[in-house]
Amino acid sequence: MSTDNSDSPDADPSESFVQDTGEEGPRIDFYGGRGMSAFPIVFFILWAIAQTAFWRISDEGGLVVGILVGLIGGMFFVRGDWKTYANTIFEGMTQPVAVTAIVAWIWAGMFAQLLQDGGFVDGLVWFANTAGIGGALFPAATFVLAAVFTTGIGTGYGASIAFVTLFFPAGLLLGANPILLFGAILSGAIFGDNLAPVSDTTIVSAVTQDSDIGGVVASRFKYVIVAAIVAFAGYLVAGQFMGGLGIGGNAQELLVAESEPIGLVHLLSMGVVIGTAVAGRHIVEAISWGIVVAAASSLALGLLSLGDIVSFNAPADAPLSQPLEFLPILTVVENPDDVGVGGSLIQGAAGFFELAILVLLIIAAAQIMIRGGAFEAILDWSIENLATNVRNAELTMVGSAALINAVITINTAAEVAIGPYISKIGERFNLNGYRRANILDAQTAALGYIFPWSGGVLAGYSAMQELPGEFEWFDTGMLVTPIDVVPFVFQGWLLVAVFIIAALTGFGREYIIDRESEEVARL
Amino acid sequence: MSVFTKFLRGWQFRDSSPSLTVGEECSVFVAEANGDGNGHVYIGDTHLLVEGAGPETVERRVRVEVTEFNETNATGRAEFIEIVGESSYTN
Repeated sequence: MSTDNSDSPDADPSESFVQDTGEEGPRIDFYGGRGMSAFPIVFFILWAIAQTAFWRISDEGGLVVGILVGLIGGMFFVRGDWKTYANTIFEGMTQPVAVTAIVAWIWAGMFAQLLQDGGFVDGLVWFANTAGIGGALFPAATFVLAAVFTTGIGTGYGASIAFVTLFFPAGLLLGANPILLFGAILSGAIFGDNLAPVSDTTIVSAVTQDSDIGGVVASRFKYVIVAAIVAFAGYLVAGQFMGGLGIGGNAQELLVAESEPIGLVHLLSMGVVIGTAVAGRHIVEAISWGIVVAAASSLALGLLSLGDIVSFNAPADAPLSQPLEFLPILTVVENPDDVGVGGSLIQGAAGFFELAILVLLIIAAAQIMIRGGAFEAILDWSIENLATNVRNAELTMVGSAALINAVITINTAAEVAIGPYISKIGERFNLNGYRRANILDAQTAALGYIFPWSGGVLAGYSAMQELPGEFEWFDTGMLVTPIDVVPFVFQGWLLVAVFIIAALTGFGREYIIDRESEEVARL
Repeated sequence: MSVFTKFLRGWQFRDSSPSLTVGEECSVFVAEANGDGNGHVYIGDTHLLVEGAGPETVERRVRVEVTEFNETNATGRAEFIEIVGESSYTN
């Protein structure tokens, strides 16, 4: 470590002080200098841009291969024994950050699937139909309902698909402007993706900044709601000026077909998870309560059967398959391809399996970068040139999180990759974990649904392309292209704007001396 | 703290250079250290020189007691008490 003899607190802080250089762990030397330790993660980012942005393939499996190839490639630049490099991969993968995120995702996945299969969206459709909302107000109402739905299920991608399938055609028939309507759906998805305790990005933002998930949700409410109020007003005003396509037709018929008022019971399941998490209960406990309430209420009200929640498809020649066929969760199947376990719980948990592997490998690559010195080099450069005071530090955090999410379509992967950088910059200025997590997740949620190559936009657009095949009146000219919707994702733009203003004015800023975030509970 | 009040925390504009009180104990991350065993802490743009916080405390959360503080230029001195926590990402 270099030294500095100035003991005056008035001395220029940028002068020759030292950062922790990671002496506690083994260093890895690379041919080409410490910058080469960034090879695995840089290779992964380039791969992710090519796959998701240039070729529009939102496949997490492909990203897993990208990071694997990057990690293998990086090894060839290591000086001396490769064993340290290999061990560092394991060291990264066993960091508590990765394990905590994965456990929380799996729980959240089961809960989200129960709500989706249990007709939550059908309840919201009923509400929209009963309220008798007209075309001009429909985008604003859709924004609110999509926000509520996403806050319940946590996945904005799922919400985009569900709402484009159900609300988009109904809105068109009512005379709503299609571009505004798609923007409202994406805005609602951003709201929930950012706020929901069961959202994958909320979980990542909390665990990477060492904060409890309930506390993060409560502390970010102020930013989300400020942006949402302005966005809501924006959709109300724009709805008056941006006309529809004048298709005519019976929207009510379309809505009634998918309407199920009892689905609104899941507002209770959602409230249980948010309430218990914010009250400070362990996130696994909070989501488990949500799962119990969602499953029990769905079974009691006939929204789901036991077999919908978990089902075993056993072959006829299995020893106890036919004698126990009377069980509601067991089905004897003839076709060997049908053998397996299904239902909401496995489907929900399995949805995160690929992402779990991906996050383990990204954190391993980040650890290589830390041990090799590239991370420290980037940090030093940022502190010297960008994060020169607390305002600039927060603006740097906003900008870097926004940039990486703008180029990597799958926003959770981008968030994991930038998490250590946000943590170190924020800790340097003693910003507490909630503030750091909120800066990180707002950009992640917002940028994941704005640009034409963003995962949320692509998910909604893919669902929209199915509509001409479903409705005779829906022709391909009514499709909203991803580029057209960019300016109308009000919640996304406003959320970024709120954080730029918050960084400049200190709105919502909290230091560690003001409040220490509670550590995220580990297993 | 009730669930409701948790949602209301932080609705304020916080100073970029927060004030500290002499005698106050607080826990903070150490950003840098000098070779002579003193650490530097930045709480926003407030700068504290922490006596006794050597290189082993860098990027760790430490408990300190504020011994001097100048409101005008938001600088001060503190005494290192103990290490109380780690960074989110430990090296």
